Amino acid sequence: MNPPNPLPPLDEAAVLEVLRQVMDPEIGCNLVDLGLIYNITIVGGSVTVEMTLTTQGCPMHESLTEGARHALLSHPAVTDAEVRVVWDPPWSPSMMTEAGRRATGLA
Amino acid sequence: MADAHAPSISVPLRFVLTGLAALAVGFGILVCRPDLLATYHYGPNVIALAHLFILGWLASLVMGSMYQLVPVALQTRLHSERLAKLHYLCHVAGFVGMVWTFWVWNMKQVGHFGSLLAFGAFLFIYNLARTLARIPRWDVVAAAIASALFWLFMTLCAGLFAVSAKCWPQISPFAPISLMHAHAHLGILGFFITLLVGVSFKLIPMFVLGEVQSRRRTWAALILINLGLASLFPTMLLASAWKFPAACVVATGLAIYGWEMLAILRARKRRALDWGLRSFLAALCLLAPLALLGLVLAWPSLPATEKTGQWENVYGVLAILGVLTFAIMGMLYKIIPFLVWYAAYSRHVGRAKVPALAEMYSPRLQIAGFATYLPGLAGLCIATVLAHERAIQAASALLAVSLVFFAVNVGLMLAHWFKPRLALAAGPNPMPARL
Repeated sequence: MNPPNPLPPLDEAAVLEVLRQVMDPEIGCNLVDLGLIYNITIVGGSVTVEMTLTTQGCPMHESLTEGARHALLSHPAVTDAEVRVVWDPPWSPSMMTEAGRRATGLA
Repeated sequence: MADAHAPSISVPLRFVLTGLAALAVGFGILVCRPDLLATYHYGPNVIALAHLFILGWLASLVMGSMYQLVPVALQTRLHSERLAKLHYLCHVAGFVGMVWTFWVWNMKQVGHFGSLLAFGAFLFIYNLARTLARIPRWDVVAAAIASALFWLFMTLCAGLFAVSAKCWPQISPFAPISLMHAHAHLGILGFFITLLVGVSFKLIPMFVLGEVQSRRRTWAALILINLGLASLFPTMLLASAWKFPAACVVATGLAIYGWEMLAILRARKRRALDWGLRSFLAALCLLAPLALLGLVLAWPSLPATEKTGQWENVYGVLAILGVLTFAIMGMLYKIIPFLVWYAAYSRHVGRAKVPALAEMYSPRLQIAGFATYLPGLAGLCIATVLAHERAIQAASALLAVSLVFFAVNVGLMLAHWFKPRLALAAGPNPMPARL
């Protein structure tokens, strides 16, 4: 009898990797490289992500936060996911990664 | 629901598609009847065509977009989606009837259809005013929207009064042409341009990853435009020489607005601008010749010659087909993909790879549209000054070609709605470089 497949590790790197699947469709860059992810808390299979948006009143608000939640739940080890939007500190382009800056024409 | 704050996309989309159809008919009329711009504008067919462009195209587009964007941008909810749907019916029946009855010059029927249109527009104002009443924090954008709604109300009242004065001339102490010009300025400057100024303080920083550089300048621009119009309207109505100082106040407001836009663009983080944004900004640049021409035409001792009449036609063309149409066509490259994306892809985010907005249409067609529109507009202005019918026809045809490019791109965008293309989406990492 084969042992059951072990779940992939659930750590910050794994969470960032799944969040890279969520793109801001206007800017054409994923949430991580845009620098929108502020904080990740992992307790067992439960993940809480604090993120921001490029501007308050962003028309993509619901899509991006729901999208981030769905992406987190797509990880086999995640049993529960919560996404909180915070505005402090306000986002600025300096928070983008080098890859994000290249993708958006800032680099 | 497209968003927790926005109505379903069918409401704005029906306005947008109606507007595009009206624009196509308008360009078709210009191509078939170039004589309309080669003669003085106070005639049934020209007034009908102007209302087709203003009510059918501009108002449909702007009102539909406002139902979607005002609640989202100001972080509140639309007061009533049912009222918006009722407004749409009144709007379409009203403007189609108005354009037709203006064309055949049946002013009594213009009054009936105008009342229907105005009823719908009052519903729009009420709906948006109730929506504004809920916003958590007032800023210059909200103030601009509120003042635009006020000027829309005034435009409707002035329009209904103008029709009534045609049916019962004894009720109006004003010259019909002065009343028409004052009514037109309330609508174009008060509603459309005030709105353009206000929303650009929100949209431009959002799209270029920048921020407003001076809140004092934004308020100064808005206040001066409003004060200028508040004094321009009565002075135009009374054909007073004071309309020139009033026009100077408006022009000063627009200049301060241009100053702030320039400052925002200089401080922007996103260096590369997409073509939709370039169209919008090119349209804003046209505010400069428009304001200058407005000042010249407001000069008290300007002789009322045939040439002056042609320059007045250019003034109208520059405002309607230049500043407003070009700005809206640029912004539609943001609005339509956004609406369709919400309907087709919003629920798939995080579950599958979805396309970016810029991947939903052809950039080549967009550039072709930009490259044909500006020469078409410049040609139309020159041909109108010269009252050269063949040249007006050729320039209108060029504008119609530009619209075809745009329409094909709209078709490509809408195709995503009917058949979402999740498989065509670019991967999240590495990210596709845009522009």
